[in-house]
Amino acid sequence: MPEFPPRRNDHPPFPHPHAEQTPPSRISDHPEFHSLRSAQRRFGIRATVLSAGGFLLYVLLSSFLPAVMNQPLSGRLTVGLALGLGQFAVMGVTAWCHVRHMRTRVDPLARGLRSRLQHENASRRARSAAPPGGTGRPVQPGTRGFRTW
Amino acid sequence: MVTAAAIDDRSLQLTFVLFLTVVVITLFTALLTAPQRDEISEFYLGNRTMSPLRNGLAMCGDYLSAATLLGSTGLVALTGYDGLMYLGGTTVAWMMVLLLIAEPLHRTGRFTLGDTVALRLPRRQRPVRVALSVCILAIATLYLVAQLVGSVALLTQFTGVPSGTTRTLCVVVIGTFVILYASLGGMPGATVVQIFKAVMLVVGVLFTAGWVLHHFHWNPNALLERAAERSGSGPRFLEPGLRYGGTVSNKLDFLSLELAIVLGLAALPHVLMRLLAPRRSGVLRSSVLWAVGLVGAVCFGAGILGLGATALLGRDTLVSTDRTGNSAVLMLAHELGGSVLTALLTCLAYLTLLAVAVGLTLAAASSLAHDLYSEVIRKGRATETEELTVARLSGAVIGILGILLALVAWGANTATLAFLAFAIAASAILPTIVYTLFWRRFSAGGALLSLYGGLLCSVLLAAFSPVVSSTPGSFYPDADFAWFPLQNPGIVSIPAGFLLGWLGTVLDKGPAEEPGTRERFEVRMLVGADD
Repeated sequence: MPEFPPRRNDHPPFPHPHAEQTPPSRISDHPEFHSLRSAQRRFGIRATVLSAGGFLLYVLLSSFLPAVMNQPLSGRLTVGLALGLGQFAVMGVTAWCHVRHMRTRVDPLARGLRSRLQHENASRRARSAAPPGGTGRPVQPGTRGFRTW
Repeated sequence: MVTAAAIDDRSLQLTFVLFLTVVVITLFTALLTAPQRDEISEFYLGNRTMSPLRNGLAMCGDYLSAATLLGSTGLVALTGYDGLMYLGGTTVAWMMVLLLIAEPLHRTGRFTLGDTVALRLPRRQRPVRVALSVCILAIATLYLVAQLVGSVALLTQFTGVPSGTTRTLCVVVIGTFVILYASLGGMPGATVVQIFKAVMLVVGVLFTAGWVLHHFHWNPNALLERAAERSGSGPRFLEPGLRYGGTVSNKLDFLSLELAIVLGLAALPHVLMRLLAPRRSGVLRSSVLWAVGLVGAVCFGAGILGLGATALLGRDTLVSTDRTGNSAVLMLAHELGGSVLTALLTCLAYLTLLAVAVGLTLAAASSLAHDLYSEVIRKGRATETEELTVARLSGAVIGILGILLALVAWGANTATLAFLAFAIAASAILPTIVYTLFWRRFSAGGALLSLYGGLLCSVLLAAFSPVVSSTPGSFYPDADFAWFPLQNPGIVSIPAGFLLGWLGTVLDKGPAEEPGTRERFEVRMLVGADD
C-alpha cells in the first residue's frame, strides 16, 4: 500500500500474552476502521438496549403497573402474558437483524481491513527479514492455529 | 422440607439404571476423546472444528442448569405469572452473549478471560489475573455447591429426607463423576456430557410440553383456564405479584433478581470459556444463534410444563409433596407417562446437574492453572505439561472443595446460592468485560477495583440480607443482623461494580499502558486475526 508505508523499528516487540504478530497501529487510523467500529458498536448497543432494556421495562411494568398488564385480550390471555410472549418474538427479530447487519455491514469491512493488515505485515516482515532478531518470534506450541505468516 | 417421597420405587430403580448407563457411556466417550498428548489447548478448548449445531448444543448445555428444569418450572407451577417472567429473563440473558460479548471476546481471547484482559492491559496484567481468578473461583464454587446440594434435594423426591449416609454417598458419587470428567476428560470430555445432556434436555422438555398441550387438545387457553382454576388463587395466578407482589421491597427484590439474571448469566465463567472453543468466528456466530433457538425453546417448554403441572395435579398436591415446587416436573411426568417418563426426566435432571458442575469445575481449574499458576506464579515460563498437571490437580481440588462445602451446607436453598453466583458474575466480571472491550481509558486500577469491589459488595450485601438472618427460612433464623432488606443484592451491587470500575480508572495513579496498546487491541477485536 503506497500511502501507508510500513514503519520500521520504532515499535520494539514487548512481552505479549498472545503469540501472533501485533498489528501495526496504522490500521486503526484508517477511515474504514472507524466506520467498522461505529457500525458494530452502534448496532450492538441499540440491540442490547432493545432486548435487555425492553425486558427489564416489562418486569417493571408488571410490578408497578399491574392494572395495565391485567387487561384481558382474549380468553385467559392478558396484556402481560401477550407481552411476555412478545419477548420471544423481539428476541428472534433482534437475532435475525443482528446476523443480517453483521453480514452486510460489518463482515465486508472487516474482511477488507484484514487483507490490508496481512499485506502490510507480510511486507514489513520481508523488509525486516535481513536484520537478525527482528521477526521470527517463535510461536508457542498449543496456541491458536492461526497462520503464523 | 418435604413430607413424603414423591415418586415410587419402580422409577427410582429405572432412574438408577438409566443414569448409570448414560454416565458409563459418556464417561467412556469422554475418556476416548480426552487429550492424548500433553496439549494444553486441547484440554482447555477441546475440538475446535465442531459444527455450529454441536457447539450450539454444548453452549445450551452449559447455560441451562437444573435450576431451570426443576426450579423455574416449580416456580411457574406455584406462582404462575412471576415464574414465567423468571423464565423470560433466562432467555433474554443469552441475547447479551450474542449481541455484545461473543465475537469481540472470541477474537481477543485465547484460553481464559484473563487472556483477553491481559491483551488490553499487558503491563499490569498479573494483579488483574489474580483478581479474575479469585472472582471466578468464588462464582464457580458457589454454583458448584448449588448443583451438588441440588442433587441431594433431587434424591429427596424419591426417598423422603435421606439419612446422613445416603446424603453423603449421593454428593460424593456425583462429585467424583464431576472430577473424573473435568480432570481426565478436560474440555473434550465436558463437551461430550454437555451435548448428551442438551439433546436429552431439548427432546425431553419439548416432548413432555407437547404431551401436556396434547392433553388439552392443543388449546393453550384451556391450559391457562385449567391452571388458574386449580392453582388455588383463581385469576390471580395469571397476574403479576403472586410471589413478588405486595410491598415495594418485594417488587424491588424481583427487579434485582431479574437484573442479576439478565446481566449475570452471560458472564458466568463456564459460559465464557465455551465461547472460545470454535476456531472461526463465523462458526461461533452460527453456534450462538443455534443456542438462542435452543435456549428459547427449552424455556418456552419449561413454562408449559409448569402450567401443566398445576393444571393436571393442582396446587395442593404439589405443595403437599414439596413446598418449594421443585418436584413439579417429576410429578407431572408421573401423572402423564408413569414410571418410565419420570425415570427419564429424573435421569435428565441428574445429568443436567452433572454437566453444569463439570463445566464449572473445568472453568475454575483452567483459570487457576492458566491465570494463577502459569502466568502469575511461574510468570509465563511454565511448560505445557506442567500447566496441564496443575489444571488436572486444581480440577480435583475444586471438586473436593465443592463436595465438602455441599456436605456442610446440604440444607441450603439451591436457588439462593445460584442467585448469589449470578449477582457476583454481573457485578464483578461483567463490568470488567464491558470496560475492557468498549472503554478507551479503562486501566488496571479500574479492573482491580471493580473485580474485588463487585465481589465484596455482593457477598457483604448477601451476608446482611434476610437470606442469612432474621427470617425463619434463613441460615441463622435466631440472629438478626439483616439491615439490607432485599434477598438479591444485584440492584445495588451491579451499579456499584460499574461505578467502582470507573472510579478506579479515574483515580488510577499506576504506570500507564504503552501507547498503542489500546489501538492494537481494538484492531484485533474488530478485524480479528483469523482467516
